[in-house]
Amino acid sequence: MNSLASSILNALKEQPYQFSELVDLHRDVAWRDFLTAWGQLRAAAVLARDENGRYLLKTDAKG
Amino acid sequence: MSAEKKTNGGAANADVGTKQSFRDFLATLDHAGELRRIAKPVDPRAFSTLIAQSPQAVMFDHVEGYPEWRVAGGLVSTRKRLAIAMGSTQNDVAMRFEEALRRPIEPIMTNEAPCQEVVYEGDTVDLTTIPYPLMHKLDGGPYISATCVVSKDPEFGRNVGSYRLMYRTPTETGIDLVSPSDMRLYYQRQLDRKRPLEIAVAVGVHPFEMLAASYKAPINTDEYAIAGGLHGAPVRLAKCRTVDLEVPADAELVLEGELLPIGWSADEGPFGEFSQISGDVKWNPIFRVKCITRRKDPIFYLLQMPWENDWLCAPVVEAAGLQALRNASVQPVAIRAPVGSCGYWTLIASIKKRPGEGKNALLALLSVAEVKLAIVTDDDINIHDPDQLDWAMTFRVQADKDVIIVSGARGKHVDPSIRAWELGKGGLPTTAKLGIDATIPEGIPKKFYTRLEYYDFGGTKLGDYK
Repeated sequence: MNSLASSILNALKEQPYQFSELVDLHRDVAWRDFLTAWGQLRAAAVLARDENGRYLLKTDAKG
Repeated sequence: MSAEKKTNGGAANADVGTKQSFRDFLATLDHAGELRRIAKPVDPRAFSTLIAQSPQAVMFDHVEGYPEWRVAGGLVSTRKRLAIAMGSTQNDVAMRFEEALRRPIEPIMTNEAPCQEVVYEGDTVDLTTIPYPLMHKLDGGPYISATCVVSKDPEFGRNVGSYRLMYRTPTETGIDLVSPSDMRLYYQRQLDRKRPLEIAVAVGVHPFEMLAASYKAPINTDEYAIAGGLHGAPVRLAKCRTVDLEVPADAELVLEGELLPIGWSADEGPFGEFSQISGDVKWNPIFRVKCITRRKDPIFYLLQMPWENDWLCAPVVEAAGLQALRNASVQPVAIRAPVGSCGYWTLIASIKKRPGEGKNALLALLSVAEVKLAIVTDDDINIHDPDQLDWAMTFRVQADKDVIIVSGARGKHVDPSIRAWELGKGGLPTTAKLGIDATIPEGIPKKFYTRLEYYDFGGTKLGDYK
């Protein structure tokens, strides 16, 4: 997992976020880099969703 | 049910296919003054908000981080631009579409495939190379919305539909397969065998292919033939590289792969729906992409929700309404799926009525897809004029005699009033349907509806009194 993916992961350790809020937190990042990092999180199967559509970490992924 | 009416490919290779491509439509819009070109480089996170501010369709000639790509969007966000696409007046788009349904033209195969000028297979497949747009504030991710998705079933043959794709990883997307559709059936049949369903996704095709894909055709109807009927010439198809499917040869981008046999188990959405609502998380299959093909200088089509989807829905639903009326031996005069109902949930029709046909017409219109409100008037009412429609509903309707309510019909998830969230993964919702017969009731002499006229109207001219 690259440093950008780790940054997204760390944000999600704090609280659930809408996808666009995670984008806002990393707005200075090139879009393609963000998508690559997001793909790494998806591939790692650590993401869950809450009733409002926000992303959060699966319980066993919070570390 | 037999699949014999569906083709497995197309007729023999020939050069008689349609020359109307996505690029030709962009040129038509440009010529009509309906395409705004933006030269300044734009980030894919800004496409939708910029398109939403433009009265014209938009072409982004430079995309930040994607030097090979251009992006076009908002192409049919108005009925005017839809009419330009259809080559008809705004009020005649349904008739135009219905005419094509009556005169389908089978597609042809070609070896000349601009959509395969560049090919990525195996380890080179990477969806992040596409300017995948982030469209709405509450979307679950970036989406590809302007899709023609092709699949095939050994018994039923080929199907073409339109399904959104949410980015997941460089080789996987979510796909919304919640609503009843032929492809959902095909997927279920493969799922029962624990096998994947091969699909191919064409992006950047002419609006005729999009309209045909949106039409809920009988399962043994080839949507490419409907598109051919709209073009007045065969759609040129190319054989896919890695799956046994055919795509429009002139498409800008094609994704080939398979729906994994995991059922409705992966989170997908929310996505800004064509119902003009933000939507909800759904549980859906995953599309694994095995091959990406595209033009050398591709133009990505961003179908701007909700308006483009709504205006693409309207003629499809209207044409289905016309067919339902004719099948019921009712003579339609005009039909309208208002954009307030997203071109989908309401049908208003005027008819040349014989006794009892107001109700027959309602039953026919309410049988169309998930239409949940139908209004029928006589042919003296201009249904495109809301004041005339209100007048008919005020003076030709008795609620205890002229209103039909049907419970438990097929519904659509994106309508919050049907409480789809209570259904669980893969559940299918139902809805109530309402019909209003605003034709002159049987037994009331027409003289009671004689419109007032001003004395000497047309004889005495205002211009003569200055």
